[in-house]
Amino acid sequence: MAEVRLTDIRKRFGALEIIKGVDLSIEAGEFVVFVGPSGCGKSTLLRMIAGLEDISSGELSIGGTVMNDVDPSKRGIAMVFQSYALYPHMTVRENMGFALKFAGMAKADVDNRVNDAARILELEPLLDRKPKALSGGQRQRVAIGRAIVRNPLVFLFDEPLSNLDAELRVHMRVEIAKLHKELKSTVIYVTHDQVEAMTLADKIVVLRAGVVEQVGAPLALYDDPANTFVAGFIGSPRMNFLKANVASIAAGNVTVALTSQPDVHLTLPIAASSIAVGDVVTLGVRPEHFLAQGKGDTDVKVKVDVAEHLGNTSYVYAHVSDEERIIIEHGDVRDIVSRETLTVAIAASRSFLFDKNGNRLR
Amino acid sequence: MNVSRLATTVLQYVFLGTAAFLSIFPFIWMVISSTNKSIDIISGRTGIGDAFGINVANFFSQVDVPLVFWNSVKVSVLATLLTIVVSSLAGYGFEMFRSKARDRIYALVLLTLMVPFAALMIPLFMMMARSGLINTHIAIMLPTIASAFIIFYFRQSTKAFQTELRDAAKVDGLKEWQIFLYIYVPVMRSTYAAAFVIVFMTNWNNYLWPLIVLQSNETKTITLVVSSLASAYYPDYGVVMIGTILATLPTLLVFFVMQRQFVQGMLGSVK
Repeated sequence: MAEVRLTDIRKRFGALEIIKGVDLSIEAGEFVVFVGPSGCGKSTLLRMIAGLEDISSGELSIGGTVMNDVDPSKRGIAMVFQSYALYPHMTVRENMGFALKFAGMAKADVDNRVNDAARILELEPLLDRKPKALSGGQRQRVAIGRAIVRNPLVFLFDEPLSNLDAELRVHMRVEIAKLHKELKSTVIYVTHDQVEAMTLADKIVVLRAGVVEQVGAPLALYDDPANTFVAGFIGSPRMNFLKANVASIAAGNVTVALTSQPDVHLTLPIAASSIAVGDVVTLGVRPEHFLAQGKGDTDVKVKVDVAEHLGNTSYVYAHVSDEERIIIEHGDVRDIVSRETLTVAIAASRSFLFDKNGNRLR
Repeated sequence: MNVSRLATTVLQYVFLGTAAFLSIFPFIWMVISSTNKSIDIISGRTGIGDAFGINVANFFSQVDVPLVFWNSVKVSVLATLLTIVVSSLAGYGFEMFRSKARDRIYALVLLTLMVPFAALMIPLFMMMARSGLINTHIAIMLPTIASAFIIFYFRQSTKAFQTELRDAAKVDGLKEWQIFLYIYVPVMRSTYAAAFVIVFMTNWNNYLWPLIVLQSNETKTITLVVSSLASAYYPDYGVVMIGTILATLPTLLVFFVMQRQFVQGMLGSVK
């Protein structure tokens, strides 16, 4: 395992800048997840670390060595691809041992490493099959096995579970987490699925349009998002955002009134000096943080559009006004029906306030 | 099955049956004619005759069969292999490497498809003559090696080649030529098989250009020899038919041996 450092990394295609100066420090043995919507540059950044894309400017080091111009095979990395990228004309054994054989390793050593990886991944009965004779999950395990045999300093995963069905995805997620604990290797993992990010990562890097929006532990991002983008991206269903105006500011507290329901006031402990009375702000409340009427600091009336009862919980799709649609998660109420007017409570301690630019007010 | 569906099925079978008959009729006619005397063929006899043995003997007495076959096989196989190597490298390159000039150069390559061979014959002949290649097999092969159609075919097929395989191979330490040789070629073997069938048939049946550049009997290919038999003052059509059968057999053999890969390759190229 090795640490990875990215210093002002940029990627340009002609005049278009895709990665706009990423600074990042990944410690040895850390499981880091790059997460963000499609087109945010997370896969490009991973491919730059792998050496599959040139770095336009900035510095990349792996294990203390600058790797900008080093061949992918000499960076000490192994990569698992979204489509598995198994060589279809080779057996599982040949696929797993190909890089080692190609590097000139003795056949006995190659066999030992392949057999060890096959044992860890329970691939032993499949070693002589071709990829087309394997299921999606098995192919993914072979792809991981192909990475393991190389004993890399850093594992790179590019959306490795995207092609699997929901059940298998959960299973493979657990397998990857177990494998990381066992191998104690540095992992950089790209996904657009925030559940994968939350469950696997030691550290999440949230990207948007080639810029790192926030870096932190999964729960730190959930509990303390830096802006509306991170707040909306981390957490499922996503955070609700309600327009509000600053009604008063006093001694480290800010009181806001909802724009759609001006009589609803909420006072939050915020010391920020960058706002003034009358400013437009955004109040963020996660679906799971709505409370029953009277149990919070203020009550809000909402009109129910649809209620989904999943058994263990219910999601209520409602609107506060014509423009503001929200989702409320209820753990123990099953009798909510469409077009009903519902009153729910908001607690200041579980709410977030953002300025007009979407930045968090603390 | 309702009436309209039955009628559709019948019509489909009638259409396919007619098309199949029209396709296979020349072969049947060729085989039947090879058993008849020339006079019977001219008079329109359609039954099986008893002159097959005589026709074969006459053909072998008039033609140096081993030499003619060797010339055809040598030219066709070599030209096919060279065409496939050059054109698949070009198709791979056009698809894999991004550059500003790529599409312009590719358009120019495709434009050459629109130039008829008749317009190229004289310049090509002069080039070969100045290079001292007239009456050599190299002169037949050289103009066919960089085939715009086969480049197009390989580029289209390469679109179905997973680019992540190339990335995985790079991470595994392969250089570009090694990726091509160890990954691309085996993965695309159906495409290669289909290209082999197409190019081999084209080269084997090539007539006009060899007719222009090959002048001695020692260098002539089977198509030229059969044609010269047919254009004699008193052509023996029974002998011509034996020649035609022998000239057709290798292409049939190549097609039937590679039929499965040919179909796969053709399907892959249009996906």
